[in-house]
Amino acid sequence: MFTFILRRLGLLIPTFFGITLLTFGLIRMIPGDPVEVMMGERSLDPQMHAEALHRLGLDKPLYAQYFDYLSNLARGDLGQSLVTRENVWAEFTTLFPATLELALCAMLFASVVGLLAGVLAAIKRGSLFDHGVMGISLTGFSMPIFWWGLVLIMFFSVSLGWTPVSGRLDLMFDIPPDTGFMLIDAWRAEAADPEYNAGAFKDALMHLILPSIVLGTIPLAVIARMTRSSMLEVMQEDYVRTARAKGLSPARVIFVHTLRNALIPVLTVMGLQVGVLMGGAVLTETIFSWPGIGKWLIDAIGRRDYPVVQNGILIVATLVILTNFIVDILYGIANPRIRHAK
Amino acid sequence: MTQANSALQATADDVAVSYPSPLKEFWQGFSFNKGAVAGMLFMLVVFFAAIFAPWVAPYSPIEQFRDHLLTPPAWLEGGSSAYLLGTDELGRDILSRLIHGARLSLFIGVSSVLMSLIPGIALGLVAAFFPRVAGPAIMRLMDVMMALPALLLAVAIVAILGPGLINTMIAIAVVALPGYVRLTRASALTELNRDYVTASRVAGAGKLRLMFVTVLPNCMAPLIVHATMSFSSAILEAAALGFLGLGVQPPTPEWGTMLASARDYIERAWWVVTMPGLTILFSVLAINLMGDGLRDALDPKLKRAA
Repeated sequence: MFTFILRRLGLLIPTFFGITLLTFGLIRMIPGDPVEVMMGERSLDPQMHAEALHRLGLDKPLYAQYFDYLSNLARGDLGQSLVTRENVWAEFTTLFPATLELALCAMLFASVVGLLAGVLAAIKRGSLFDHGVMGISLTGFSMPIFWWGLVLIMFFSVSLGWTPVSGRLDLMFDIPPDTGFMLIDAWRAEAADPEYNAGAFKDALMHLILPSIVLGTIPLAVIARMTRSSMLEVMQEDYVRTARAKGLSPARVIFVHTLRNALIPVLTVMGLQVGVLMGGAVLTETIFSWPGIGKWLIDAIGRRDYPVVQNGILIVATLVILTNFIVDILYGIANPRIRHAK
Repeated sequence: MTQANSALQATADDVAVSYPSPLKEFWQGFSFNKGAVAGMLFMLVVFFAAIFAPWVAPYSPIEQFRDHLLTPPAWLEGGSSAYLLGTDELGRDILSRLIHGARLSLFIGVSSVLMSLIPGIALGLVAAFFPRVAGPAIMRLMDVMMALPALLLAVAIVAILGPGLINTMIAIAVVALPGYVRLTRASALTELNRDYVTASRVAGAGKLRLMFVTVLPNCMAPLIVHATMSFSSAILEAAALGFLGLGVQPPTPEWGTMLASARDYIERAWWVVTMPGLTILFSVLAINLMGDGLRDALDPKLKRAA
């Protein structure tokens, strides 16, 4: 097991350096240089320009610049935003809980509904329900989620008035961001001062519902399809027939003997959805004005705030490869054949 | 003599019966999937409308009818049969914009698929044929590209290159590249162990001939299926970039761009939001259905897998 983890870790390191090369190169590919971008439209005195380049170390050869970039990263210095002058890492850590909360809720929604629909569809293979689930999941898979968000807002927020249109919490609440997870913060604030913060938790929950559904739609479709096909495959195994022949109850055969083994590929697919979630967060957060990482990056691109774009992408990519690494390890634990494969 | 001839004829007939032409065999597999046929019919209509857009569309996509701002679709109260799907906030006919938008979306889709398919096949074959240095180097590079969420990578590329039609296509093509490289390499590696490749090698075929003439044709089935699927995701990504304001710029009638400007009217004019979105959804769905059918027809091994 230890060598397996080491081997996977060994694959991780070149990928990480590749990503730093990519984010490093990204900034160098912009027409003009960062100083011109920072100074904006104003005409620049050539001497001041040269001094600024020197101060930022941009007059050094490229390999030296890349080395500087890496050593800054190693010291945990991700630079500062050109617009807010805030440290990029500090901005990331304040905004990340919002994205994480949204992504977790979306994943919860997608897994619960997806697993249930997939299992039921597999049990009732060929039935109307099965066809319905497959049809709906193919539609979900094809969904332009930015439009789906608008449709849900149009229906549930504008027509029915059930859910709020955007943001994480109504403006009349003032909840201190202790954990950064609005559900927990609102819960605690309401518990601490039930009168002043009455209804804060429910409000936070209502704000979360639509964005979670929107972000969870594509993972839901993928999970439902994967669960169904994986269940169908396992249901044909000999040990399932044996379990049935022993006279076990159908529920026990399905949930204990079949589902447990069918879950392995589904879990891998779930892990792989992290990248999809981060990409989807960009769109979902834009639609719902959700103050998270996706909206942060898009806004930074709009404002040409390159340090944020560069290192924000670096952080997100690192998160994705780390999660994929963890999924790999978990998969190795669950399935010894993977662990010992060369 | 005649007997022998007729006997020969009979065997030939038997052969013809037992081995239908590849095209016919393909169509049998494909048409077995009703959804795939429906998807194909829908896409044929969309392609037709896109190619003949100036003649099919009732109006110019950028012509503004100032007296008919936000007219509802024809079947609603206040709608007018002159504007079947209604008009937008500037009085432009939505149907005409959608038809012209189809041109753009399909063009982006086809070109970005080609732009990633061709280099993807080349890189994948190189990775499979040179497993010592070039192979691992290419695959690590693809790992790096896969680590970035597709949309984020596309957004980053457009942020650098600047928004616009060509840059949208480049961004989508770059994002799709790793999929083709990995798929080509994987299928080429399987084929490399087959006897016919060894035979060809022994017969003195060069590396290039082995790559493109011997191995590649046998890797095409999964590649075609993958290309169909990435065609639909190209349309989705182009629309997403347009929606974020990073794609094709207004007033060009791109489907995603139409949605971006429609956001302000969700309270008053649902059709401005609904029509472009439904068009995207149906097109992507139709292509995905076709992809399923293609997979069934071209790649019977995968039939049970998904």
